[in-house]
Amino acid sequence: MEMIVEELQRPVVLDASFERRVMVRVRRFHAQNRARRGKLARVAASITHHPAWTAAIAASLVAVTTFGIMNGRLRTPAVSGAAIEPTRFVLVAPTAQSVSVVGDFNNWGLGDSALVATSNHGVWSVTAQVPAGVHRYAFVVNGKDWRADPTAPRSPGDDFGMPSSALVVEEGSK
Amino acid sequence: MSKRTTGGLMAVLAFAGVSLSAGAQDPRMTPKLDNPSKAAVQAIVDSAKAQGVPTDPLLDKVKEGLARGADNAHIVAVVRNLSVELANAQRVLGANASADEIKAGAYALHAGVPAVELGKLKKESGRLRSLANAFTVMADIVSRGVPVGTATNAIRSLVGAGAKDKDINDFQQKVKVDIDQGAPPAAAAETRAKPAPVKPEDRE
Amino acid sequence: MLGLEGMESSDAELVTGVLGGDVNAYSTLVSRYRDRYARYAVHMLGNREDAEEALQDAFTRAYRSLARCEEPERFGAWLFRILVNRCRTSGARRMRRSQTFVHDEGALLNASEEHPAEQTMWREEIERAVGELSADQREAFLLKYVEDLGYDEMSEITGVGVSALKMRVMRACDRLRVLLKEVHSG
Repeated sequence: MEMIVEELQRPVVLDASFERRVMVRVRRFHAQNRARRGKLARVAASITHHPAWTAAIAASLVAVTTFGIMNGRLRTPAVSGAAIEPTRFVLVAPTAQSVSVVGDFNNWGLGDSALVATSNHGVWSVTAQVPAGVHRYAFVVNGKDWRADPTAPRSPGDDFGMPSSALVVEEGSK
Repeated sequence: MSKRTTGGLMAVLAFAGVSLSAGAQDPRMTPKLDNPSKAAVQAIVDSAKAQGVPTDPLLDKVKEGLARGADNAHIVAVVRNLSVELANAQRVLGANASADEIKAGAYALHAGVPAVELGKLKKESGRLRSLANAFTVMADIVSRGVPVGTATNAIRSLVGAGAKDKDINDFQQKVKVDIDQGAPPAAAAETRAKPAPVKPEDRE
Repeated sequence: MLGLEGMESSDAELVTGVLGGDVNAYSTLVSRYRDRYARYAVHMLGNREDAEEALQDAFTRAYRSLARCEEPERFGAWLFRILVNRCRTSGARRMRRSQTFVHDEGALLNASEEHPAEQTMWREEIERAVGELSADQREAFLLKYVEDLGYDEMSEITGVGVSALKMRVMRACDRLRVLLKEVHSG
């Protein structure tokens, strides 16, 4: 069986014209689509001056937005195209005066971007909108004490002498 | 350098500049790379970009270093080291690997996992399976004292048996608790990775 | 070397570029995946002409639906699902047209330049035996052994249960052994 598989795994090389043929189809579709969009834009421009059309469009936009929210999590695309997932961070620190969360997803707190957690009898928590993907983060207690998340995998990239944790956010995982 | 990467780096550097004027009351909010360090980071990012290596982790590392108050030379050294690890991870994981797998793979390399083990696992698991979480857990248990060979065998056996990311996270939590309770790390990982009994419907 | 060739930009960056109007970025994606996925299509459909048509169609469909690619960094996996589905419909058409399995002449031609005549014959026998499998068995066998996918991934792509896929793979292996034994003993 190994010999059969080895034989079947040999590469198949297509000739150079393949890519050209695909791109001919793609460019044709692109051109048609652009023409269609241009036509729609012209139609839209002509109806925006009509009060009845304007009211109808405004009503449909409200309906779409409401539908999106009512049917579950409203996902916002990140710059990279990854979905945004709500992620909850929790740290038990009964004597802390303040706890914040910093990481790849919020510029490590630079420029006042740290996520400020709230305390419920020393159980500090905050929910952040985190893009799907691999992240590193840490808690900052009392503005100066950097701590890893004791419940999360450790991140080995402890390059600056302070611990951090690893977070893998899957799309639709929460 | 592409427009996007240039934009990303400039945003990081500009961000630091803005913080300098805005955050005088908090030393952590006033980080800035000096010009030679900026140039060095830019060269590293350019080089990574030319190799097709993901550059976002490098920019994140600059921000982390600035936020943690590290000195410029240290930040540049760490970023350079990470770029090498990202390139190594990309090389062994192949063209099917996602940016997240490469990033998680680079951190696993940083923890001491041999590159060849990452490559083997990727090859065995097929192109549709993301190993970002598996690499993350591998790095975690190695950092907790599980010998590298034991850790890679454990993760390979879990992935090979079809374990989902949730199962691998459960494994990590159990190994962590066992070690916290005094178990030898190798024994904890070996025992927790043992496969569950085969379900009757799988015996065909 | 596995991954550096043609990797100036990640899939996610290219997909983002295409969605932003840069049609040329798509040609990089085509060149990145065309040969890799041609292998599956050739083995699945049994001839280069149908395989190229299916692959072209998969690339075109992927372009048209690109905005629905939820994980741009996994464009390749998403494209592969489209190709597998496309091969199914193409395979059905081919079976209606002719029951005869036609081997991949182009691949054999390439092979003959690199390997001795016996190897080319062995390859031809394997191609013919794979073509003798039912489409379901051939699909499961190729996904499992040639494309190195796990059963969960195969199930995700094909919509078929894991148990049924295991049975198909097992039967495909048994059938291949019989067919290739017949060739050698006959």
